Amino acid sequence: MSSKLMSLEDAVSRFVDDGDTIYAGYLCVPFALTHEIVRQGKKNLEVVGSSVVWPGTELVMAGACRRIRSGYMSGALRPGDFTSLMDSGELQYEDYSNQAIALMLMGGALGVPFVPTRTFLGTDYLSPALDDHPGSIPGYKRIHEMESPFDGEKVVLLPSIRPDVVIMHAQRADADGNIQMWGHMGDARWGLWAGRKVIVTGEEIVDREVVRSDPGRTVLHGFKVSAVVHWPYGAHPGGLAGYYDFDYAFIGRALAAGLNSFEGFAKFREEWIDGMRDSGTYIAKVRELIGDDAFEAIAIQEHVIPKVPVDYGYSRTLNLPLRQGEPPW
Amino acid sequence: MVEAATDYTLPELMCVEGARLMPDTGVAVLGLGLPVLSGVLAKCMHHPELVICTEVGVFDWAPDVSRLARSSMGIHDLILNHGAAGVSDMVDVLGTALMGQNVDFGYLTGAQVDRFGNVNTLVMGDYRAPARRLAGTGGNTEIACLAPRIFVLMPQEPRRWVERVDFITSPGYIDGPGARLRAGLDPQGPNTIVSTMGVFGYDTTDGSDGSCELVLEAVFPGFDADIIASMIPWPLRLADTIREVAPPTIDELDLLRRLDPHMYYLTPGRY
Repeated sequence: MSSKLMSLEDAVSRFVDDGDTIYAGYLCVPFALTHEIVRQGKKNLEVVGSSVVWPGTELVMAGACRRIRSGYMSGALRPGDFTSLMDSGELQYEDYSNQAIALMLMGGALGVPFVPTRTFLGTDYLSPALDDHPGSIPGYKRIHEMESPFDGEKVVLLPSIRPDVVIMHAQRADADGNIQMWGHMGDARWGLWAGRKVIVTGEEIVDREVVRSDPGRTVLHGFKVSAVVHWPYGAHPGGLAGYYDFDYAFIGRALAAGLNSFEGFAKFREEWIDGMRDSGTYIAKVRELIGDDAFEAIAIQEHVIPKVPVDYGYSRTLNLPLRQGEPPW
Repeated sequence: MVEAATDYTLPELMCVEGARLMPDTGVAVLGLGLPVLSGVLAKCMHHPELVICTEVGVFDWAPDVSRLARSSMGIHDLILNHGAAGVSDMVDVLGTALMGQNVDFGYLTGAQVDRFGNVNTLVMGDYRAPARRLAGTGGNTEIACLAPRIFVLMPQEPRRWVERVDFITSPGYIDGPGARLRAGLDPQGPNTIVSTMGVFGYDTTDGSDGSCELVLEAVFPGFDADIIASMIPWPLRLADTIREVAPPTIDELDLLRRLDPHMYYLTPGRY
């Protein structure tokens, strides 16, 4: 297999197109990739995900995102420039729930057009008011309630989502594009599988033998992955299990103001996005801003390592069948 | 005699009383916000056999309380990988576990609650021209739709306790007896709401009988039924006997504060 390794710039310029629907990985927050999308001035993206938090908000504030489908938009929490875009309809949006979006991504991954669920029954999400609001996506059918053709039980059908591109930050990857992640994963597993193109920044790039000695930790396979980029601290100020924790000092002192208004974002962008073309420069500047103590506070102090190494072993010899050609089962 | 604390706040007692009222056993999904803090207190102090889960893929979190640095900050804290019996993903927790009928109860909060226990997490006012948007429902909706029993924490503020929520994101008994079944949902109950002044049950066993309205069952120290009824915009039903909630013990309050060392949950002045 030819190597999937490339630079951040190449990965985004080759695999993120204007107008793409993008899944911006949930827990392993893909900030380095989000910043690169902003630097390259991509336009008219749609962001999908159960909970669209900081990276999604950043793409909206940067003018890169025109549409969101999610169960939770942190940008909508405070009245301001983000909610003004929603009110005016400049930002299109459809409200779902976390389970709904996770299932819609699963449906996309499975290649089926819709997924049934029992969530939303008895709620106002079924109200026609949601089909016609300032942010409605023109011509889009959001939800459909019906009785099961098999037992008559009420179900809600949700349209599957097949993102054009997935951006994700993972603990490790190999040059073939195999991605290994661990810890709780939100909707990331199905989001990864649902994507047509997948770009991953890896905290570490490891030999393929490392991946193949522990295949149960692989969440997506090289044949599904378009590009792998080595980018330490690629989730910062998000956290990554085993490497560093969420940096609430940076969020409070730099990111929050950047996501609250266009004016704040312009400053954040100048300082933390436009000039930051490598991980080392970025993280040195973070350390300078928050100070050594706060920087060390995000380091992993509580390690969670298996008490006993696992063994995927098997027998080389077996008790082979007595007569050749006769299967033993 | 257990020593009672005196310097507690009402939101603290809300979290403590909610933790006490959890069942001793069963599988619980804890929703974003105060239910995480209160649910972790329940697990660490009153109900060690509880199986607590969060929707990002955490199953049966059992932290070592003697050296626990904090409760989970939100439902996604990396600390949840430490001491969980299993970690996987959202489709497992909200799909296979919850919708597959393997969860015993949910623990939620929200922006508004109404007479029939419906909760709103999404929008204040008309959806199409909202007075105020919120971030969204997250997993609150499916937990309320699908768990067979629900506990809710809801500060006793007039803006939160309304005759009818502006938007049902998370159904309680909708508009009365039989409504859940008609909507296609399973029976649910006995449900409980804890506010910053009292504890409420419902006039129903599972949504099929009774009026399905909230019933005041207990009051916090210093409050009575009249005060609470005056803060609620419909004629509040009262239980035949109204219990008085015990103040937090010193141990409960110490642990609660240790679980929230930066006052991320119980920010002064927030509730």
